[in-house]
Amino acid sequence: MTTPLDTITRERVVDAICTVLPRVVRNELAVATEDTRLMEDLGLSSSSTLELMLELEDALEIQINVEDIDRDDFRTVGTLATFVAGHLLTEE
Amino acid sequence: MTAIEAVATYLPEQRVPVEQLGDELGLTRMEVRLFRRFHELADVCRAPGMSIVDLLLAATRRLDALRGREHLVRYVLHARTFPVVVPYPVNPVHDVCGALGLDQAQAFTVTHHACATGLLALDVAGRLLASGDEPDALALILTGEKAFTRDAQLVSGSSLFGEGAAACLVSADGPRDRLLAYAVNQRGDFDDELSADPARFQDEYPSALAETIVAAVDRAGLRLAEVGLILPHNVNVIAWQRLCHRIGFPYGKVLLDNVPLTGHVFCADAFVNYQTACARDLLRPGDRYLVAAAGSGLGATFSAMVFEH
Repeated sequence: MTTPLDTITRERVVDAICTVLPRVVRNELAVATEDTRLMEDLGLSSSSTLELMLELEDALEIQINVEDIDRDDFRTVGTLATFVAGHLLTEE
Repeated sequence: MTAIEAVATYLPEQRVPVEQLGDELGLTRMEVRLFRRFHELADVCRAPGMSIVDLLLAATRRLDALRGREHLVRYVLHARTFPVVVPYPVNPVHDVCGALGLDQAQAFTVTHHACATGLLALDVAGRLLASGDEPDALALILTGEKAFTRDAQLVSGSSLFGEGAAACLVSADGPRDRLLAYAVNQRGDFDDELSADPARFQDEYPSALAETIVAAVDRAGLRLAEVGLILPHNVNVIAWQRLCHRIGFPYGKVLLDNVPLTGHVFCADAFVNYQTACARDLLRPGDRYLVAAAGSGLGATFSAMVFEH
């Protein structure tokens, strides 16, 4: 494997965010890319960001450590993916 | 300097899991899952068959420091989240006073700071006692309510209320648990009836409470690093994680153990958590700790108090 694990994980997270977002924002036509702004473009609030995190955990079968999450991490799909990829809870 | 003499609490044995409450309240599966996963609410206290007077009496009867000193109690304050908890003209605070032989005390209700009203009552009690000329005079603060309406059971997207009660004996001065500072930030712009965007409260909540905490610590002449422990309101865990991240306070020094065990016990949270801190030997003589609470309803109130144990 030549690609670092973090990169794969981040890409998978971006894909997963874009997949679950239409359900979270209650708009089946919502299209998101890595640069989509979650608050400004899609109107995510504090409570809907939590719903997004839970949907991500289900989709990727992971647990996210949200202890250090900041409002800035929800700026775009890409910033959130970076946070999630770097804050996975392991069962070890 | 206002001092806490003693605290007693009553938490009913019955616990209801959030999934059951979710069914009763008509919450979606997602709402319930969010409560358990990120808010870390699990079981909520319920006391079917007990009235609000029963709850308050159960806590006060455990207040050993009151025994034999009833005649010194000048004020009895019931600090309430909700302005109306019984039909007029019933008044639980007077019923409690009658049952405990505290008829000589001036008894009244303190409210309108929502879930931060317990801290307001501590401040009011201390001021009243300090304005008198009886050094041995005491005030009794009662907290705890019934989760009797939908609003008294659920803070949508934020918390579930638990039933229970606390009784706290306050003196104008004393050797320990002395009140060093109190800060309050009232935000009329969060009035539910005026705000077009209720989600804005959730978004601004961590920073508004953080500012109040920093103000109280500053007013006490301390640095945040000198605060050994925060006794929070048990609204949920995620709000405190966000707040701690914002102010750079170690999350592990916020006593959140009771959130999954009791739910948000109205204004009694601070006192329930104080008892847990003492039981776990988390407070040593001279330790400075902070009590914080926030409440919303008709406006929002963010409050913080700094104490020295």
